[in-house]
Amino acid sequence: MEYLFTIWVLVTLNFFLPRAMPGDPFLYLSADEGQEVARFSEEQRQYYLEYYGLDRPVAGQYLSYLADLLRGDLGYSLYYNEPVSAIILRRLPWTTFLVMAAVLLSTVSGTILGSLSAWYREKLLDKLLFFHLILLSEVPAFLLGLVLLFTFAAGLGLFPLSGAITHFASYSSWWEKLLDILHHAFLPVMALTIARLGGMYLLSRNSMTTVLEKDYLRTAWAKGLPQKRIIFRHALRNALLPIVTRVFLSLGSLVGGAILVENVFAYPGLGHLMREAVMVHDYPLVQGIFLVVTICVLLANFLADLVYRKLDPRIGDYSGIRGG
Amino acid sequence: MTAEQYLLEIKNLSITYHAVHPPVKAVDGVSLQLRKGESLGIIGESGCGKSTLALGIMGLLKQVGVEGEIIYRGQNLVGLPEKRLRNYRWKDMAMVFQNSLEVLNPVLSIGEQIGEPLRAHYNLSPLEIDQKVVKLLEMAGLEPEWRHCYPHQLSGGMRQRVLLAMALSCDPELLIVDEPTTSLDPASKNEVLQLLQKLQKKSGFAMILISHDLGAVKKLTSRVMTLYCGRVVELGITSEVLKNPLHCYTRGLLNSSPNFFRYKDLWGIGGEPPPGGSIEGCAFYPRCCQGEESCRQARPPLRYVALERMVACHKGGIETFLRAEGIRKKYILKEREIEAVKGVSLEIKSGEVVALVGESGSGKSTLAHILAGVLPADAGQVFFKNKKVEGRWATKMVGGMQIIFQDPFSATSHRLKVLEVVREPLDIIKWGKRDEREEEAMKALQKVQLPVSPEFLNRYCYALSGGQRQRLAIARALVTKPKLLIADEVTSMLDPSTQANLLRELKALQNRHGFAMLYITHDLHLARKIADKVYVMYRGEIVETGVSFEIFENPEHVYTKRLLREAFRDLV
Repeated sequence: MEYLFTIWVLVTLNFFLPRAMPGDPFLYLSADEGQEVARFSEEQRQYYLEYYGLDRPVAGQYLSYLADLLRGDLGYSLYYNEPVSAIILRRLPWTTFLVMAAVLLSTVSGTILGSLSAWYREKLLDKLLFFHLILLSEVPAFLLGLVLLFTFAAGLGLFPLSGAITHFASYSSWWEKLLDILHHAFLPVMALTIARLGGMYLLSRNSMTTVLEKDYLRTAWAKGLPQKRIIFRHALRNALLPIVTRVFLSLGSLVGGAILVENVFAYPGLGHLMREAVMVHDYPLVQGIFLVVTICVLLANFLADLVYRKLDPRIGDYSGIRGG
Repeated sequence: MTAEQYLLEIKNLSITYHAVHPPVKAVDGVSLQLRKGESLGIIGESGCGKSTLALGIMGLLKQVGVEGEIIYRGQNLVGLPEKRLRNYRWKDMAMVFQNSLEVLNPVLSIGEQIGEPLRAHYNLSPLEIDQKVVKLLEMAGLEPEWRHCYPHQLSGGMRQRVLLAMALSCDPELLIVDEPTTSLDPASKNEVLQLLQKLQKKSGFAMILISHDLGAVKKLTSRVMTLYCGRVVELGITSEVLKNPLHCYTRGLLNSSPNFFRYKDLWGIGGEPPPGGSIEGCAFYPRCCQGEESCRQARPPLRYVALERMVACHKGGIETFLRAEGIRKKYILKEREIEAVKGVSLEIKSGEVVALVGESGSGKSTLAHILAGVLPADAGQVFFKNKKVEGRWATKMVGGMQIIFQDPFSATSHRLKVLEVVREPLDIIKWGKRDEREEEAMKALQKVQLPVSPEFLNRYCYALSGGQRQRLAIARALVTKPKLLIADEVTSMLDPSTQANLLRELKALQNRHGFAMLYITHDLHLARKIADKVYVMYRGEIVETGVSFEIFENPEHVYTKRLLREAFRDLV
């Protein structure tokens, strides 16, 4: 219910925001690049207003916008001459793939490294990990991307320079295609992963250290349980809670990072598309992307709630008897 | 007795925390033995090392230095690798941890947490484990359905039961119970104690009960050990120790316990325990009421002072200050002979308040005067610090014995000035120089909260009120820093408010300076408020004597019963 309301607010914002902005969309529409002084005749202007339905009262426009949205119609791209939804749907999987892979890799490796650090706290391993990962976490994603691109793709030629897939290639089998996709995605995913690793490492190290000091861990030791069970079932299970929260909360910023990285690697995802759309002032497309991204992030939050409820019995338990 | 016969034997165990600077020795040379099925209580203030000792036995402490031996069934556990210790944990020795929100894992169900040691140690199938968990919960008085719940859904009392069920899951031989009743309401507290008692009877495990709740210790244990600064200061049979503590610290703990002295005001032990391992001599010396300079030098060994009773004290435990044997006194009036005191014996130990109660004319004051050496006895002997009282030596010294009389008007001469009255005892024994005496006198006046302005010091005594005169009499007694104060009906002439103030001050002084006091009164309400021990006197004889909570709760002698009935009849 809360999510529906949030979505409605977002959609409404998305509708009114461009209309509140100064300037006239037609100015850009008819002008060539660099020349924004071209004028419409009153007739042309009238024609366009009618064509885009902008002459109707705002309330009417709003309602038809909502109706269109419900049908999945995000409008029509001015630049590509295609429905916005179609373009986005084509690009969305690439970004999703990038982001998911980066989240998965950075979370898993960050948690493992962080836990190791906490377990061997103040020992050599901890100190080494801490120093290097802090260093890495200070480098922004796009810079990292550039460095990776120059060394591994341009310099050593190990990876392709751009794109998500080799153009016009024919594959003999599906896994060959997969391999090609992974080959292309490797560097951008690495850039995103490494950029996030420091944060995840610090968080899980912190979280694990806190949990290791807890009374219930001493209880677990006292019970003579195997070490594996103590680490995974008792310690990690609790240490994961803040990590999960962080993962889902940081999805939004990750999409931001993805936009930069996609541009560095010319990866055909939403980020790359967004840049193109902004360059050519394709407002319906920009709006569409904005909407899809926000809805994705919201979806992630919704998912986070579900997962969190599963992980932590203390959340959302209003019916039970509460301890006194 | 050979080592094999003990279930657990600890030899000279010391545990030092190295993570803090300077390192803290939380357990300092503790030895104990525990037989199968036996129960031992460990008492002491917070921070005395009780919990460290418990965790140390389980081998659960990190970053500590452990010296000594912990021998379980002939196997020394100190220095054993984690892997081998794991086999002992829970299967042989389990622990009921101190109840707190985080003692159970918040994200695992109760059932899983109770059942997991079974899987770890016995490799049972999930179904068998579930059946056992149901049984354990029922045994701990919880419905089996709770096993599907999580710790945050339980109340404090239920959590305590879960902790108990969990600890007993592998049928341990030794159960260490850490503060099982803190933070529980009286009803659940009693239930948990009864449960522990029942389960021990049924399963026959040996138990170490750590608690500062002396009631729980009294109920559940046969022997008790007092720990102070990580050292054992007293060890003995529980009922004996709690009735008649022989170490000042144990007595201090008792005096701070509301469940023993129901009516008496509570008086904690003054001062703070020093950080562990930092003291050379007796660790309790700075807070002890009978400490002397010599106590600072060496550490007192734990020695037998009676059967089954060990005390670590240079003085052999609480000293007896005053001992009277067979005191008799007759007054001869014209034709009649009145036997005022008929063969009375009594004992006053250091730092205790002994009330001598009885109706007027029972011979209390006569006895007091004899004890103080003011009146000669017809027969019998009085010893002060094991030396026979003859003449006035005991009252003529600093740190001796002083008596405060019933009537302050005759006790303090009205022709003397305030300062002179207080200084006089020092003048008589020619203590120090004049200005030193005056300084002491002013200090004594301040102790009883009288002004020390020149105007007041030069006032003549006749110009003072009754309350002021009585305080003055007390100040006069305190100026020689007595070890024993005999207070004969000191408040009977005062109004209730002055009486209350004076009495509280006197008791506060007693608690702070640790002198012993014989408080003579016919007012049982007052006696009940301040007395540690009570002597009941009737027609020149002591008819009943004992610890005040026993006398006032369960009097045995007919006369005591009558006296109490009369005294407390008007109570609603």
